[in-house]
Amino acid sequence: MPTGERSVSRRDFLKLGGASLAGATLLGVAGCGGGGGQSSGPSIGWQAIPSYSTEQNTDPGRVEYLKKAISKWEGSSKYSINARASSSDVTAAMAQLLQQASQKRAADISQVDSYIFPRFYDYVYPLDDYLGDISPDQYFPFAKEAMINNGKVMGLQFTTDVRVLYYRKDKISTPPASWDDLISTGKKMKQQGLTPYLFPAGRDEATVTTSLFPYFWAQGGELVDGSGKAAFGEGKNREAMLNSFDFIDRCVKTGVTPKRVTEFSQETDINGDASSGKTAMFLGGNWQVGLLKQIMGADKFTKQWGVAPIPSMSGSDHATTSGGWVWGIFIKDKKKQKAAVDFLKAVFVGDQGMAQWCNVGGYLPPRKPVFDVSAYKKDEYTDTFRKYLNEYAHNRPASKSYQDISTALQVAVNQVVSGDKAPKQALDTALKTVSG
Amino acid sequence: MTVKAKPSRRSWTEVVTGSPLLWLLPLVVILVATFVYPIIEIIRLSFTDAGLTGSDYSYTLGSYRRLLGSPYFFDMLKATVIFVAVSVVFQMFLGFLIALVVDQGARRGMRASVVTRTAVLSAWAIPGVIIGIIWGILYQESAGGVLNYLVGLTGFGSIPFLSDPAAALASVTFANIWRGTAFSMILVYAGIQTLPADVLEAARVDGASAFQRLTRIVLPLLAPILLINLVIVSIDTFNTFDMVLALTGGGPGRSTEVVALSIYNQIFQQFHLGQGAATAVLLLLINTVMTIIYLRLDREEVA
Repeated sequence: MPTGERSVSRRDFLKLGGASLAGATLLGVAGCGGGGGQSSGPSIGWQAIPSYSTEQNTDPGRVEYLKKAISKWEGSSKYSINARASSSDVTAAMAQLLQQASQKRAADISQVDSYIFPRFYDYVYPLDDYLGDISPDQYFPFAKEAMINNGKVMGLQFTTDVRVLYYRKDKISTPPASWDDLISTGKKMKQQGLTPYLFPAGRDEATVTTSLFPYFWAQGGELVDGSGKAAFGEGKNREAMLNSFDFIDRCVKTGVTPKRVTEFSQETDINGDASSGKTAMFLGGNWQVGLLKQIMGADKFTKQWGVAPIPSMSGSDHATTSGGWVWGIFIKDKKKQKAAVDFLKAVFVGDQGMAQWCNVGGYLPPRKPVFDVSAYKKDEYTDTFRKYLNEYAHNRPASKSYQDISTALQVAVNQVVSGDKAPKQALDTALKTVSG
Repeated sequence: MTVKAKPSRRSWTEVVTGSPLLWLLPLVVILVATFVYPIIEIIRLSFTDAGLTGSDYSYTLGSYRRLLGSPYFFDMLKATVIFVAVSVVFQMFLGFLIALVVDQGARRGMRASVVTRTAVLSAWAIPGVIIGIIWGILYQESAGGVLNYLVGLTGFGSIPFLSDPAAALASVTFANIWRGTAFSMILVYAGIQTLPADVLEAARVDGASAFQRLTRIVLPLLAPILLINLVIVSIDTFNTFDMVLALTGGGPGRSTEVVALSIYNQIFQQFHLGQGAATAVLLLLINTVMTIIYLRLDREEVA
């Protein structure tokens, strides 16, 4: 066969293949290097969960604030912000971030759920040198506790929240403080044709943070011991947990709480019932005020609904759960660390930044002085929430066993409410699941 | 002068291009990368105590020990078996029934058969998560729940569709039957179109009743398609978790936590990669055993 018939020789083929491979590699490298940044200058990687980001956010108000604030900061800095996407499943997003951080692949600035932040201490860099006029003492105690490790500020919390009892103040003159008060008030409300008391009891985190832990913590209960192992089944902790389950069981058996609360996975699932005018009391979060005002109208909501501490067994020593989000810095370069903190102060953590971000998102500021900043919009409930944050707030433990504890207790509350298991049986099964 | 013909020597490129191996290679590479490797990796991880949040792990049988020793292990299997068995039986039965009705309607030139076919197909096209949300709204026990509102109009009290453990499993299964019937209908309807008209006509001429034609001719001829349908629907139902996640999240308690949902919860909620992988291996075994049984049945039928 004449060689001239071969359109491409083997050598040509190898050359062509090699060139293509090299080209593809260069393109890949260029693609990785660009990372979506819009500037050719140095950039800082910034990873937020979707509702806090510019790229995946569905709230135009938040996006507008973020874009303006980021663009303003970029105008005064040599760095640009390179936004990175994150999962909308918060638990999965935190798991992924832990994995990235352990492999040194986390974004320079990453958003971390406050309760889990202590698990990132090994991967984040201390920020004390860059704080300027921001002092850890300005933070609420529960937030300060999560942010500081060995005397060093390891992260900056920028939002918080608090769980409370919402009650119909036009029907209930004095909100119930103890469990007994709640049952008797609930029975009276039932006679008036109202659904007395609702709380989230589905298979989700709200079931434990809102509907269980406040009862448990108010009795001095501890979920984990010093080594981070589950301790809610031992001694006084077990007694406190069993009391809490017994109370939930009592709510259902007395008809104060309907079994359908197992349909409520999140606090906001109660909004429909709360706005219907047929509910007397419910456990919820501060973020529901804004939503319910939108649904019902601000005037109607403030006339009907008051907030009080979540009732405790004794009627005093109340407790509640707080959460929120922390920024961690994962970049070793000192100049970038400084620029990153500067960015965070401008957009999320400084007086103006925190006030404005909390306004657009409906959050509570974790720094106490921000409540008095004129840019921060307060309403009828803000001072009460601030008081509860200061006096009653607890954070969930950051231990590795927490995910197991949370899942086991969510299932246990579910079982008690649905009547599937008696309180003691549900607690024993939860313990067996966690220790197994 | 005679010239001896040289034995033709094929170049290596001709040998390679002449062999089917080269053409099969891309498929083999894709299958190994996306199918075989993940299965091997899952089996390997199931023998570790790996978590989702760390890179350190050691090899152990602990994942299987914890899975089998869990107080919810048999509850999970029971819920899965009920969910799959009832779903498969009703999806196949209703799919068959609707396919027959649509076919008869089409033969009679009824336009409604096209509408019915489209309506049934739309259920198949909707993503599982959306189906979960839709049925969640229908099942709600509060005043906003559509079904309970209708029940209330008849003077009865509300039905605890999702708050009672037994009712919740039934509700989830019903929603899954609604979702999966369309697929069965499509397969059976396609099968019906291939039935030989002359055989059916001959049976009719011989005086066979409609029931006799169905049981003696249609069902035996459709058997291979029904078997394929059974395999696909069974495996698909075993692997269902998206709709259940959106509808109940596995609750109340763990009454609707089927095996596939348990895998998701263990890995992405509790970060137990090892134990989640062990549960995935269990699901793989169940699916493999069922497929082998079906294939044997098919072989016996052909023989």
